[in-house]
Amino acid sequence: MTYFYFILKSALEDFRRNKVRTLLTSLGILIGVSSVVLLMAFGLGLKKYITDQFESLGANLLIIFPGKLIQNGQFRQGPGGLGGKRFDEKDVLKLTKIKTALYIVPAFTKTVEVSGGSHTETADIYATTNDIFAIRNLELDLGSYFTATDNDKRSKYAVLGPKIAEKLFGTKETALGRSVKIENQGFKVVGILKSKGGGGFGGPDLDSFAYIPYKTSYSFNPDKKFIAINIKVDRQDNIQSTKEQVKKIMLDRYSEDDFSVIEATEILNAVSSIFAIMNAVLVAIAAISLIVGGIGIMNIMYVSVVERTKEIGIRRAVGATRSDILYQFLIESVILSLVGGFLGLLISYLVVLLVQKFFPAYMNLESILIALGVSSLIGIVFGVFPARKASLLSPIDAIRYE
Amino acid sequence: MIKLLNVSKQYTLEDEVFFALKKVSLEIGEGEFIGIVGPSGCGKSTLMHLIGLLDRPTEGQVKILGRDVFTLQDEERSKMRNQVIGFVFQQFNLLNKLTVLENVLLPTIYTRSKTDVNHQDKARALLQRFGIEKQINSYPNKISGGQQQRVAIARALINNPKIILADEPTGNLDSQSGKVILDLLGTLNKNDKITVIIVTHDKEVAGKTKRQIRLKDGEIV
Repeated sequence: MTYFYFILKSALEDFRRNKVRTLLTSLGILIGVSSVVLLMAFGLGLKKYITDQFESLGANLLIIFPGKLIQNGQFRQGPGGLGGKRFDEKDVLKLTKIKTALYIVPAFTKTVEVSGGSHTETADIYATTNDIFAIRNLELDLGSYFTATDNDKRSKYAVLGPKIAEKLFGTKETALGRSVKIENQGFKVVGILKSKGGGGFGGPDLDSFAYIPYKTSYSFNPDKKFIAINIKVDRQDNIQSTKEQVKKIMLDRYSEDDFSVIEATEILNAVSSIFAIMNAVLVAIAAISLIVGGIGIMNIMYVSVVERTKEIGIRRAVGATRSDILYQFLIESVILSLVGGFLGLLISYLVVLLVQKFFPAYMNLESILIALGVSSLIGIVFGVFPARKASLLSPIDAIRYE
Repeated sequence: MIKLLNVSKQYTLEDEVFFALKKVSLEIGEGEFIGIVGPSGCGKSTLMHLIGLLDRPTEGQVKILGRDVFTLQDEERSKMRNQVIGFVFQQFNLLNKLTVLENVLLPTIYTRSKTDVNHQDKARALLQRFGIEKQINSYPNKISGGQQQRVAIARALINNPKIILADEPTGNLDSQSGKVILDLLGTLNKNDKITVIIVTHDKEVAGKTKRQIRLKDGEIV
């Protein structure tokens, strides 16, 4: 205990005497650690954001897309992404035979101009069945959903996301019951949904969707084709078997390359892996600044060894071994590095707090441990050469040094 | 207690080889009070550094307490410096960033073997004995040279050494303080039965010791 007290006191006393030097040396590590930690925090935030977005799509969901979208867990490269055949009501009918499929929800989407009140806004219409509300957990804020009968009757009803409703009519309350114009047809706003969040990077802006019955949309979808078919599976355990059955049914009418049956988690993984790679590259670049910081520590430790040659001699004369001297200087460089690491963490934390209003960045325990671990490691790696130099000084040369 | 056999130390300066010590043999017994004397450059400091295990001889054998010290590992030699030998330097060689008390305790942090001694109490007792108990929490650069040298002696004594090596201990002191230090070293030899070796060029200082070893040009005369 006394040993560490003495080593620590000696180190701190040196730092106190060379305040500016110590601060500047730690600053190198501070910048390195905070850039690494901040980038990790942004990466984590982005991942959480994407995950949340996909979770809002609903659980146990299979989606049939035209073409080959994902291959080997990655988005497929080259042409042919969302090409391929599109689907129709016949497919939906055949798929309803699958017992484990709770809902079969076809969808046709189109980006259109929607006018209402005195405004015109660009929005995504989502032409589908009333089951979409159930499988995507879309809760109603005002009014009502459209029904299966509305679909069959091709009723011109629309259920709006809260954002588009507010954009068109100012408030959700005024939007309810009003008429909106989509592709030159009037639709009555029968319901307003609760906010799901989203928008910005990585996901669709779910609050700006306008949901309408798909049969109503045939007037501007004359081929009567769907862009996707959502299938809600009853249980997680049945996802794989259901997927196989879906594929089998689809293969009756389409060739292998014309469609993909994808689990929502597959898309999530593919998107996440892209961002993970991007983030890893950024973190690696930031890590270079840590190395630069480490070199700063090494530099200062070399200076410190020369300045304290006499001290080393005195310690050797009263019985310090080579290893004692080595550890003393190693401990000092680790302290220097850790001080930088702690300050870097503190600054990162403050920045993360500030940014959280706009972006869900967050720090996890792992990134804190990595930051502290890496800064101690840097202290050791870059401190070991100067410390070794100190330990190898001959006692007599050291004590005679002026 | 200390035995040197044909010990030489040679230096190379700008391709010129010269001997600081030439085949020196000598023996110092337990409890002796020795003065190593001679003009500057005669090799007396080199001799002290070899006995104190701070430097290595070019050839020859140095035995302390029967052990051939330069065949030992660094750890073993450091342990001997820590527990068998106490140094007193002309320049005091205290660490200015540690307090007086901490300076006295410095050797104990490198002591690996367990003892029942309470080092704190012992350090305080030593400082009291030497009349510097009031400066216990001062820093060395805030006290006088005479006081600093007494702190250095307390540091040399903290681990109960068998040998005290003093290199011109009065060289940086006024005559009054120097006398106090010499008397102190004498007492340590007389009462505490410690072997005291003083290196000096000062005949008056040498006169206080019981036996003198004279060196000239690296040889005992």
